Amino acid sequence: MITYVLKRLGQSAFVVLLTVSTVFVLIRMAPGDPATALAGPNATAADLAKIRTQLGLDGSILSQYLTFLERLFTGDLGTSYSFRAPAFDVVIDRLPYTITLALAAVALTAVIALPLGIWMSRRADTGREMGANIVTIAAQSMPEFWSGIMLLTVFSVLLPVLPSSGFTTWPGLVLPATTIALLQVALISRLVRREMVSNLTSPYLTVARAHGIPERRLVWGYALTNSAIPVLTALGTRFAAMLNGVVVVEVVFNWPGVGSLVVRALETRDYPLIQATVLVTAALAILVQLLIDLMYPLLDPRIRLGKATAR
Amino acid sequence: MSSVLEVEDLQIELITEHGVVRAVDGISLHVDPGETVTLIGESGSGKSTTAMGLLRLLPPDLAVLSGRAVLAGHDVIADPAAISGLRGRVVGLIPQDPMTALSPVHTVGRRLTELVRLRLGGTSRHQARLMARELLERVHVPDPERVLDHYPHQLSGGLQQRVLIACALVGEPELLVADEPTSALDVTVQAGVLDLLMELQERTGVAILMITHDLGVARLVSDRVHVMRAGRFVESGDVERVVTAPTHPYSKQLLAAVPRLVHKETPA
Repeated sequence: MITYVLKRLGQSAFVVLLTVSTVFVLIRMAPGDPATALAGPNATAADLAKIRTQLGLDGSILSQYLTFLERLFTGDLGTSYSFRAPAFDVVIDRLPYTITLALAAVALTAVIALPLGIWMSRRADTGREMGANIVTIAAQSMPEFWSGIMLLTVFSVLLPVLPSSGFTTWPGLVLPATTIALLQVALISRLVRREMVSNLTSPYLTVARAHGIPERRLVWGYALTNSAIPVLTALGTRFAAMLNGVVVVEVVFNWPGVGSLVVRALETRDYPLIQATVLVTAALAILVQLLIDLMYPLLDPRIRLGKATAR
Repeated sequence: MSSVLEVEDLQIELITEHGVVRAVDGISLHVDPGETVTLIGESGSGKSTTAMGLLRLLPPDLAVLSGRAVLAGHDVIADPAAISGLRGRVVGLIPQDPMTALSPVHTVGRRLTELVRLRLGGTSRHQARLMARELLERVHVPDPERVLDHYPHQLSGGLQQRVLIACALVGEPELLVADEPTSALDVTVQAGVLDLLMELQERTGVAILMITHDLGVARLVSDRVHVMRAGRFVESGDVERVVTAPTHPYSKQLLAAVPRLVHKETPA
């Protein structure tokens, strides 16, 4: 178990380094540069050259990369150009907001999609299930900037019951979390439905029914626990993905999280901030994935970590 | 003595991709307390469909049942809802493939204690566990205390089948429906499971409706047999009579299909 975790952590470190390195190179190959963004429109060529030297951007990409690595191993991710503060600290300050939003969105998705999926599995292939599918797929198909703005219009402007932007009070969480959940419900509810149907028609369930286990218990105690792994994996993966910043939703709702930070960092070509964001969020996403994997043996006794499993 | 199960002109139609199939075509039988009645036939003859139909375990949207099937005074064809009060109490099922018949994420102990507490309301966890242990002893599971904490995948097929028999016994049923209970097991294990069923029958007087394609099994356990083919009984009667002097050509065929070890003279 411990060797397994250590091995996974080692792999994760490698993946994170690879991700950051790729981003490091890509942002430097993309058009535009931090000096022009910082100096403003009236800067002379001499001003720009001076800024580049100050920021350490005058060398080749390789020499910049080596300097970056050297600092990385001493725990220094550089100073954000626009915040004039350690890039790592800037990201860490924003992280709780994104984590809060992601947790709320995943919780809301689960609260809607689990009962909905179970409901659908009990009415598999009926008109009512089709109706539920149409509604959830319609919700999934709406671009989030549009559904976000629609929710804002209805619940902040026409019926001013919820705050429109920022995160000063808990109700401020409702609209952005709902916007994200709308995108996830279709996928998760259909996954729940599929797993439930396959468990509800499986031999062990028929035998349990023959033993006189009540129908409610068959659904909630048997089929649902046996459906837990794929559903929790999907929810966890969605959560991990959201940690990279729910960019559009954060911008629409002016949410002070990592997503809106990344947009600003890209606009100002704030290389250290981009790199720090990628590093922190990638590491976090991989950690969440590892935690999900560590949960598997608790949910399914047939799974032993680090060993090939015959199902 | 009234029958535990009385079936009259049972018909089961299954809705399949290729249209409606009449899987069971007007069979009648009865099972009295303490006796074993066997349905024997090849795959697709409708014998398992009969068993599942009597327990109302066929998907309601894919199976249409008609006729009469009275289980402990309740006609489960006319009143399908009645079966939910009978399953586990009056009738128990011993399934065909024990390896897929237990929920993989529940321990044997959880499964059995759940059933015990369901049957006997107000039993404490501790009491239920003691009773579960006793049930495992009754079906001759070695080291029952340890097996209670095992998950199904940690047990052999034979042990899983014994656990399933224990599950079926919790409610002290009057009838056990055994749907090919040994066909998924190794030959050496098969005999043990059949012995156990007969021992339980002797001890508790439970009636058994046995479903099998195996003449050896039928001969060993049955009082009466019904030879089934294409949804109908082609021959019924006392097991020894059917085996030794079959009258219907299909019964003869079935008997002739049994592989025999013929002693051949080897040239010196």
